[in-house]
Amino acid sequence: MSIISDIVESTKAIIKGMSVTFSKIPKEKWTVQYPDEPVTVQPRYRGQHLLHVDENGKEKCVACFLCAAACPSDCIYIVAADDPRPYEERIGVDNRYAAVYNIDYGRCIFCGFCVEACPKDAITHGYNFELSVYNRADLLKTKDDLLITKQKQSPNYRVAWADEDVDSEYKVV
Amino acid sequence: MAELVKVTINGEVYEVEKGRLLIDVCREKGHAVPSFCYYADLALQASCRMCLVRIEKMPKLQTSCTVTVTDGMVVTTESEEIEKARRGMLEFLLANHPLDCPVCDRGGECELQELTFDWGNLEERFIEPKNYQPERYLSPMVANDPQRCILCKRCTRVCDEWMGEEAIEAGGRGVATIISAYGDWLNCSQCGNCIEVCPTGTLLDATYRHQARPWELVRTVSTCTFCSDGCQLALGARGEEVLRTVARDRYVNGINGEFLCVKGRFASHPFVNHEARLRTPMIRYRKGGKLVPATWDQAIEFVAQRLSAIKEEHGPQAIGIVGSPRLTNEANYTLLRFARDVIGTEHYTATDAFSLVPFFENMGAPLATHRDIRYAQTILLIGGEPEELQPLTGKQIRQAVRNGGARFILINSVPIRLKKNAAQFVHVRPGTEEAALLALADADSVEFAARKMGVETSEIEQVRRALSEAQGTVVIAFGELSPAAQKIVAQLPYIYADDRRRFLFHPLPLFNNSVGVHDMGLMSGAMTATEMLDAAGKGVRALYVAGSFLQQHLKGREEALSKLDLLVVQELFETATTEYADVVLPAASFAEVDGTFTNNAGQVQRVRQAIPPVHLSKPDWLIVASVAEAMGARFGIELSASAIFRDIAANVPAYQGLRYPLLKDESRPVQVKHEIAQRRDISGEIETLRATIAQADETAAKITETPPVGHELFKLGTLTEKLPQFHYLAAGNPKPENTLASSPLVQLTIDAALRRQRQEMALAGD
Repeated sequence: MSIISDIVESTKAIIKGMSVTFSKIPKEKWTVQYPDEPVTVQPRYRGQHLLHVDENGKEKCVACFLCAAACPSDCIYIVAADDPRPYEERIGVDNRYAAVYNIDYGRCIFCGFCVEACPKDAITHGYNFELSVYNRADLLKTKDDLLITKQKQSPNYRVAWADEDVDSEYKVV
Repeated sequence: MAELVKVTINGEVYEVEKGRLLIDVCREKGHAVPSFCYYADLALQASCRMCLVRIEKMPKLQTSCTVTVTDGMVVTTESEEIEKARRGMLEFLLANHPLDCPVCDRGGECELQELTFDWGNLEERFIEPKNYQPERYLSPMVANDPQRCILCKRCTRVCDEWMGEEAIEAGGRGVATIISAYGDWLNCSQCGNCIEVCPTGTLLDATYRHQARPWELVRTVSTCTFCSDGCQLALGARGEEVLRTVARDRYVNGINGEFLCVKGRFASHPFVNHEARLRTPMIRYRKGGKLVPATWDQAIEFVAQRLSAIKEEHGPQAIGIVGSPRLTNEANYTLLRFARDVIGTEHYTATDAFSLVPFFENMGAPLATHRDIRYAQTILLIGGEPEELQPLTGKQIRQAVRNGGARFILINSVPIRLKKNAAQFVHVRPGTEEAALLALADADSVEFAARKMGVETSEIEQVRRALSEAQGTVVIAFGELSPAAQKIVAQLPYIYADDRRRFLFHPLPLFNNSVGVHDMGLMSGAMTATEMLDAAGKGVRALYVAGSFLQQHLKGREEALSKLDLLVVQELFETATTEYADVVLPAASFAEVDGTFTNNAGQVQRVRQAIPPVHLSKPDWLIVASVAEAMGARFGIELSASAIFRDIAANVPAYQGLRYPLLKDESRPVQVKHEIAQRRDISGEIETLRATIAQADETAAKITETPPVGHELFKLGTLTEKLPQFHYLAAGNPKPENTLASSPLVQLTIDAALRRQRQEMALAGD
């Protein structure tokens, strides 16, 4: 192989590569300027869990432990309790409720098995994804962090609506 | 050997014993047959219709739980027709059953749930509303959800046949039938066996309501720590907390089957993680001062120094070592070695209510296991009250009479509840049960004894005749007896010896390891517990107590403990004994240690560690061994429970050759080989007994009232008082105004004065 053919081949390669680069420059940018701009998350995104309440604000969870049993990383801890008061006064929808409901996000792998196991639709994945903390112990989230009435939603995301409900990699630009 | 018959099941031919139930045979041979209402050893019911099978030459499908096998029977257990029938039956069972498995405590170990997985349909065809009935409480121990009931009636049969109480019954007609109690409130012995056998979530443990799910609990098979029957139970622990006790046959299969009493089932675990448990070792540096928390090193060093000093000054006999019939064999044996080898004192004993030494020394026949009682032909019970103090023995006697047709002779001064099962009840004057023994052992004393007991001579003659004409197994059970009477009862088999019968003994001591503490040799020390307390400050300068003295020991001797130079106590809780203790060492409870208990049938059974010791507590044997080591003595064995048991096996003849692996299977308990004594001369004892009985008052009135259910069972003790519901029972178990959905405990505040009064009446350590 002569030195001339070397130069020709490498020049071809450079032109080929740069043609891609230059062709992209005038097109729309895909970089999300997070956190200045909110991230668009898909409707089925699995973020931090939410514990739901019914229309009267009663916790839906009946502490059946099925989520804890389904959890492959063993990160859910529940203490069930008996609340014999009438429906209007009590905390949950049933007289059995979770006095303690902890999820250890140091262990959680966001597989969604807990959501599938839940017979009461009490737990779902929310969209909060900003879970980093300065102290590892803070990864343990309690009911105060997880209840839908108490969980603070991050302003840094927006959920994709149906008309734009497609992942970016398939999006026609 | 029974006659064998040929049965064909699913094309395979088996030879089985004639007269067995088809369902048992099918299951034994590996052909699964589902059922709800069938329960071995209970009356047949055939109401759930799940066990339907096709038997050739019979017109319809037959319930295999009511059919006995006959020669040439051809059975099909699997076919399209049977599957259709079973699916249909299950659909009917589920017609009214709510689908609330997530909130039901039985979810995960529910037989209905399991069989629904096998035989249920994917879709429910009934669209009508279910027959709603609210949840309620039947007692502080039993929660009830009538809607979940499938009317298998296991609970009513268990209540009737095992407990003889008929407290729980089916009421109403047709679809409105529910399981309930008379007056909707259970005033029974609260054994909770109805909860255990319930195949659905209809009857539930109210003390463990909504606490955990069964698959979360780590189960450990252990031995009960209350009475001397030694029931096998499964402790369910979650993390480092014991949450419940069950005897379900899927978890544990011991001498008791699924039977447990109110203490075993509900009070076995609440004390383990109770907040009143002693947390650290504590030292009282100055008499009358406060107990100050210390480290283990400080406490052990303190005890060792003080013991050595007292041994130096007053001699080894000034130190008394006290074991406890609550502790494991290993702990008591270590205490004995500590007393003999390290201290060198003869003053050792255990805090048992009474000693069985005279009985075991003269025992003329082996001990009866609970199975022996169930299949005995004649049972003689002298004194005692097994249905309150040894409930498993009570149940076995009841079943022996009811289901086995045994002849049960009861000699007692109190018309106890077992009376109704007795073929003969010899109702004697209070405190003269031993006169009956005198009359049984000595034909010349019959008239004298009958006069003292206030019974007809013919009644005694009838008992004598029953014993001398009995065939098969004769079980002699007895409660607390004087030493002379114990020797006489131990020699009865020689008096009535004959080829046609075999005698077995069943002593009824009060504590879980009363027999074990005797076997270890602690009961044969030079002093009894009361003598030791009397000698406190005089002959005995220091006491090393594992456990606590009973109230009956301390009664009238309250000051004795304060006279000691040194009192070391190993305990779980603060008791009357720790009040004067110079050093208190926190001990581990039965759920936190490995070891063995020996029950009243002489069966040595394992106690297994369910959770690590709570707080800073340590196993009793380890504390004793540490003190011994600090005093410069080693036992020459490695420090583990199994090593100590090996030492026991080497030194206690009855336990020879035993090892932990041999005790592994709780369904085949090992009976230790107590030595059978030769025939002895008992004329001296007869004279002693005659002299004692001669003092009995011939005009004393008989006790005609049957004691109420639970008068012993519901007594509050150091352990049982840790369960709030027990206070409710001890206060008379009144029916609350509202039994629906909220625990009676929430509704009623028990009068504090009444509680205190009951507590004082109760024996400590019960």
